[in-house]
Amino acid sequence: MPQPDAPSDPIRSEFADDPDMAELIEMFLDEMPARVDALGECLREERLTELQTIAHQLKGAGAGYGFEPVSISAASLEGSLKAHSDLERIRADVDDLISICRRLSR
Amino acid sequence: MERIDDQPTVLLIDDSPEILRLLEVRLRNEDFALVTAQAAVDGLRIARERRPALILLDLDMPVMDGFEALRHLKEDPRTVSIPVIVISGSDDTDDKVAGFDLGAIDYVCKPFNMPELRARVRSALKIHELMRMLEQRAQIDGLTGLWNRAYFDERLVEEIAHHQRHGRPFSLVLADLDHFKSLNDTHGHPAGDAVLQGFARLLESSVRAQDVACRYGGEEFVILLRDTKAEQARALVERVRAGLEALRWPRHPERRVTGSFGICDAPAGDAGSPAAWLQSADDALYQAKRAGRNRVVIFDPAATNDAADTQPAPVRKAG
Repeated sequence: MPQPDAPSDPIRSEFADDPDMAELIEMFLDEMPARVDALGECLREERLTELQTIAHQLKGAGAGYGFEPVSISAASLEGSLKAHSDLERIRADVDDLISICRRLSR
Repeated sequence: MERIDDQPTVLLIDDSPEILRLLEVRLRNEDFALVTAQAAVDGLRIARERRPALILLDLDMPVMDGFEALRHLKEDPRTVSIPVIVISGSDDTDDKVAGFDLGAIDYVCKPFNMPELRARVRSALKIHELMRMLEQRAQIDGLTGLWNRAYFDERLVEEIAHHQRHGRPFSLVLADLDHFKSLNDTHGHPAGDAVLQGFARLLESSVRAQDVACRYGGEEFVILLRDTKAEQARALVERVRAGLEALRWPRHPERRVTGSFGICDAPAGDAGSPAAWLQSADDALYQAKRAGRNRVVIFDPAATNDAADTQPAPVRKAG
């Protein structure tokens, strides 16, 4: 379902033109829907440790695959979780990260 | 010992499977084998077992972070000399300083600039290789290419410990070129050097792979023959003695060179002491000199006691 306030421009990898990276970006994107599901699920079930692990991995990997917005957003979520912020704040961070992940494109 | 025909191994420790996969692909055309670990404890184990030439270490990892892993690496004698490049998502100066203070040789920020990372890895591997060569060179005698005294002293301590623990025999051989000073005086130092080098080549081709031949200083050489009792050692040393006597020297074809040899497989005194072994082999060498040189003598405690009463002078003066 389209979200009215979500920017919908696709985010392309900075390395999209690098033939070496094509296959890697492909794999990264293939795994993205499962990642997004896991983010939502962890939040709903308040499995915050697991949520933090996923955020940490996306922070490290995102920019490596040429998707810097993923790293920035994931870092914000990881920071909130580390600081034991309230659930509202965490929810907002997760939503932001999910919306960015959904815009990723090859 | 590293096998020289092998590619160097680079160990990558990072908790993110995406980063592992990314670097596996991005570094696959480089001239090394990449092994990966997704947790610091696994990385430490692999480092101990495989002794990689280089470690790429992520800082920000759950359970054990990169700083702690680095501390472990630098505290363990098996891993302390392995260079570590920190790879980190943090551009923070404090993190960089902490990494270097803990012993990292380099610090690379994520996301990677791949040409830069590859260049830094190549540079670190080159430095590691040079260090290894230097280390080895510090154990080798520059003139003859044999092991030097410092290396031999270490090996002798090890061999004595092995001998005492497992009861395995070994023989210690001291060799001294006869009338070497006179040869130097008559024909000059280049001629003397040529003789030292020629004798070293003869020694090298005569000993087996498990033995250790060393230039102990001046015209004195020492050989450690593993798993060998004195009588067996005599056969090998006798071949060396005869081989030396048969050599012709371009700088002085009219003058043969001979050597005297002392063998010991059970020293007088404390068998756990390297000094006792060397002294006993030296005593046998002295007997060889006194009996007319150009011969091989096995250490005999009874004979040496007599000699010590009448002639306490050190053998090095015997020439």
